[in-house]
Amino acid sequence: MAGVADEPLLSVRDLAIEFDTLDGPVRAVDGVSFDLRCGETVGLVGESGCGKTVTGLSLLRLVPEPPGRYAGGSIRFGGRELLALPEAELRALRGRDVAMVFQEPMTALNPVFTIGSQLTEVLRRHRGLGRREARVQALALLERVHIPEAARRLDEYPHQLSGGQRQRVMIAMALSCGPRLLVADEPTTALDVTTQAEVLAEIRRLQGELGMAMILVTHDLGVVAETCARAIVMYCGVIVETNATAALFAQPRHPYTLGLLQSVPRVRETRLAELPVIPGRVPDLRSLPPGCRFADRCPRVSERCRAEEPALTPIAGGGQVACHHPQP
Amino acid sequence: MDVLQFALRKLLAGVPLLVGVTLLSFTLMVYFGPDKTYELLGKNSTAAQIAEVRHELGYDRPFFVRYAEYLRELATLDFGHSDSTGAKVSTLLARSIPVSLALELPGFVLGNLLGLALALTAAFHRGRWPDKLIMGVAVVGMSVSFLIVIFAFQIWFCTSHGLNWFPVRGWSAAGPLDYLAHIAVPTLATVFVALGYNTRFYRAVIVEEMGRDHVRTARAFGTPPLRLLWRNILKNCAIPIVTRVMFTIPSIVIGGALLIETAFGIPGVGRVTYEAIISGDQPVLKAVVGLTASLFVLTLLVTDILYRAVDPRVSLQ
Repeated sequence: MAGVADEPLLSVRDLAIEFDTLDGPVRAVDGVSFDLRCGETVGLVGESGCGKTVTGLSLLRLVPEPPGRYAGGSIRFGGRELLALPEAELRALRGRDVAMVFQEPMTALNPVFTIGSQLTEVLRRHRGLGRREARVQALALLERVHIPEAARRLDEYPHQLSGGQRQRVMIAMALSCGPRLLVADEPTTALDVTTQAEVLAEIRRLQGELGMAMILVTHDLGVVAETCARAIVMYCGVIVETNATAALFAQPRHPYTLGLLQSVPRVRETRLAELPVIPGRVPDLRSLPPGCRFADRCPRVSERCRAEEPALTPIAGGGQVACHHPQP
Repeated sequence: MDVLQFALRKLLAGVPLLVGVTLLSFTLMVYFGPDKTYELLGKNSTAAQIAEVRHELGYDRPFFVRYAEYLRELATLDFGHSDSTGAKVSTLLARSIPVSLALELPGFVLGNLLGLALALTAAFHRGRWPDKLIMGVAVVGMSVSFLIVIFAFQIWFCTSHGLNWFPVRGWSAAGPLDYLAHIAVPTLATVFVALGYNTRFYRAVIVEEMGRDHVRTARAFGTPPLRLLWRNILKNCAIPIVTRVMFTIPSIVIGGALLIETAFGIPGVGRVTYEAIISGDQPVLKAVVGLTASLFVLTLLVTDILYRAVDPRVSLQ
């Protein structure tokens, strides 16, 4: 590992993912680049449809093909190019080196097998454990994610567990082989607010304990603030701003980031007449404007914005922004 | 133990259903069924003669007495003698049911297994050429009339106009080769038609299951394709598949394949039923109808228990 110490754990370069639709191909992800170091936590933030989930799925090469297609770029993980990896090697990697937690705990587990069976399946495949050993490990995993009466839960089916418990099972499964990277796609969105906080705390604690890197895909800026050291803001398939979370929240440079932050409902001292919203709508990915994708909704728009697409450029004090007129 | 209790409860719940079904078939088939009085007496009979014959045939007894008699016949499997041949109905059925089973089981099993295999192939190549080819052939199989398929296959396989490999009519199960020669063409025709329906049905079920979240989860944990197919797709499709397979069973056991058996001159239940309908042979008809109905109720019961076996979400309560 000494030789690759400098190389980031994950390095995504100019990633482009297209989907075939009846109106022709649509780019859901269009030239996304970012790095992730071992043990680092990054939040991938944006509205629904901005390409964040597709980006997350692509890190395990899980974008359904067809209709999806990797149209360009590269994803390097641990020194290997994922986009060139044969299916068998991808299978060995999935769940072992890169694990994923999905949004819907209700449907993400196989309804006709017990929790124990699903956990031991992964343990036996990736860690080569025997039946009995795998069961002991599965029990330990359930206890680790604080599922009450873990021994009994092993023999229960997903429908017998609550949503929060199912998500804990999902997390236990994801952590079962000690992955170096965890991709969590809206892991708390489908849960009750109180359960959300618990599950999030669990993820944060385990991430710290295991020292794995994590990409948290979410639309919830609050979750990012609590969990991630760095945040990447996506809009319409491109990265518009990235910075350390604290800096991003303190001084958002892209007008879109600012809009996102202002539209988060929170308990305020004075009641606002109306929650600020970003005016306009997300443009159709099939007919994007030639210039900046945010131009139509941007309060700081200029002629240049409509003609020329801004590139991601470094800004003073760290971070990068893709804007011709960033906020001071 | 739970399952046994569940089965008993289901069995009890099946009793009213059985009463309803037999009552209905009795009312339609027997009570309002063919009246043999005039057949026996001919024209110009006196009122006294008519009354006497009706009494002999039991037509003058009250509805419920006759219904009870029908139930007794069903329970003891003793339906009296056939009107047209005079043979015991139970003997007739005992002879023809095994023939129907031997004739249809291979086609039934093949039609479902091949249907499932083709459906899986189509579903895994959804939208690409294997899918389009398979579904195209399936639509042809569904669209062509069964009778046309039978005749075409008979001409092709059994006459000098075509391959002339197999006997065109008749039945013999004297030896394995004999048996195979006689079921070959009927089985091919059955499979050709059944495959169309089965493949379309199974493909729809599988495609739906393949799009579910748990399949994506399994892929995200490196599940190999065959394991995915078994644990995530087939296991979760089990309910619609079991339903379809189970509900075909009563009709092949008792109903027989009317068209196949008639066209190929095979002495199965289908042919016995067909002849009974043509000649108004009531003892045979009420046996066939009553047994089919009872078998359906039994199938319903077994299917319910199987649901529990394949899907833990089905409650035993």
